[in-house]
Amino acid sequence: MITKDFTYHAPTGLDGVVSVLAEAAGDAVVLGGGTMLIPDMTHGRTRADVVVDLSRAGLSGIAPGDGEVVVGATTTYADVLADDRAPALVPLLRVMAGGVTGGPQIRNKGTVGGSASYANPSSEVPACLVALGARMRLASASGTREVEALDFFTGAFATARRPDEVLAALVLPALTGTSVGYTKLKHAESSWPIATAACVPGPDGALRVALGAVAATPLLVTVDRPDAGVADPAWRAHVREVVDAAVTEPWSDVLADGEYRRRVAPVAAARSIARALETGGEEETP
Amino acid sequence: MNRVRLKVNGQEHEIEVESCTLLVHAIREDVGLTGTHVGCLTGDCGACTVLVDGASVKSCSVFAVSADGAEITTIEGLAGDEGLHPVQQAFWDEFAFQCGYCLPGMLLTTCELLDRDQDPDDAAIDQAINGNLCRCTGYASIRSAVRRAATRMAAGDPDALPESQRSESPSAEPPPSA
Repeated sequence: MITKDFTYHAPTGLDGVVSVLAEAAGDAVVLGGGTMLIPDMTHGRTRADVVVDLSRAGLSGIAPGDGEVVVGATTTYADVLADDRAPALVPLLRVMAGGVTGGPQIRNKGTVGGSASYANPSSEVPACLVALGARMRLASASGTREVEALDFFTGAFATARRPDEVLAALVLPALTGTSVGYTKLKHAESSWPIATAACVPGPDGALRVALGAVAATPLLVTVDRPDAGVADPAWRAHVREVVDAAVTEPWSDVLADGEYRRRVAPVAAARSIARALETGGEEETP
Repeated sequence: MNRVRLKVNGQEHEIEVESCTLLVHAIREDVGLTGTHVGCLTGDCGACTVLVDGASVKSCSVFAVSADGAEITTIEGLAGDEGLHPVQQAFWDEFAFQCGYCLPGMLLTTCELLDRDQDPDDAAIDQAINGNLCRCTGYASIRSAVRRAATRMAAGDPDALPESQRSESPSAEPPPSA
């Protein structure tokens, strides 16, 4: 039970959202799907005087544009999974969405923008956005700006979003013909991920891999192509070396300590690359 | 206080709630239907699952005020006057529950699954029920129950019909209420 009541707003458009945020002057929290914010409020970890619910603000949907795809912030995992265009338009988000922990009840409510804004180190969305080179579209009463995903995630549960701003959309590059790879390590169905890796080969063939859950923020590395195959011990050693160098401060929590995450991160990276190169990116059933 | 209209299991309710009232508490305390259970209040266990406009959600992670105008199905909405819902009957026949705490989530996510996939494989079943924690039976008998419900409903098996429309009931006694 939440013991402290608040003023509730559910504006019917983005203009209404940003004007409530401007008036609240930092005392407001933004409600997406509620799967993380509401339990946090129930358990007293987050308190707020004002709650701005985005569910009626019209910020959901996947819209292809010129060389990019705009994903509305309140697009749920279920929306992504139900969209026939998703495998072509947002292949990485689609593979990731199918494995989100918590069942259909969470996939029906949880939003990609909410996961990004919450910036839990163990969440899956942040590293996917970094792998894609997404831009985060932030709206406020004074206008709209875009921030690179790599710059958006500034720490554990911390982002570049100002209190008067709302994350309105994610702008992803169109991945025509690019085969992506995703892998996630967790040891129980209901566990948060211990390590994730998302591989998005660049147009020049460079293998960009973003690692999630292994540090406070997603880590982006670029590794050489496995010319002698993904089982080649020399290439595996190269991946380990590159990933080890990136994981300077591994993330620890009750599920896994930092040294464990550091140990498994190169394995996750290599698997995501193998999937991108060999299998077209399908995650195996976790 | 906020005035909120909910259509629960086909019946209109108008309730007064604080902004911070969770949907699970509104359903239990204001609407008076206690089959929706309070478990973890963290969104993990699934005992508070209801369908909101046909989609399963964990009602501990929804504000009642956000559900204004919604159509809600709770576990009480499954059985009709004529007897158990086929999914409930399959869980009964397969011994797929003991204490019943997880049943709101298990039953409603199964109904949601079978609405869109009449012949789910084990991977699809796991994907449908993996947001619910059962601490009694393990999950094998639950998976069997989902398969049995799917088979009967797809085949129009008489056992999938409500009890009153069957010539002979496989259950000797009526089940307890949820």
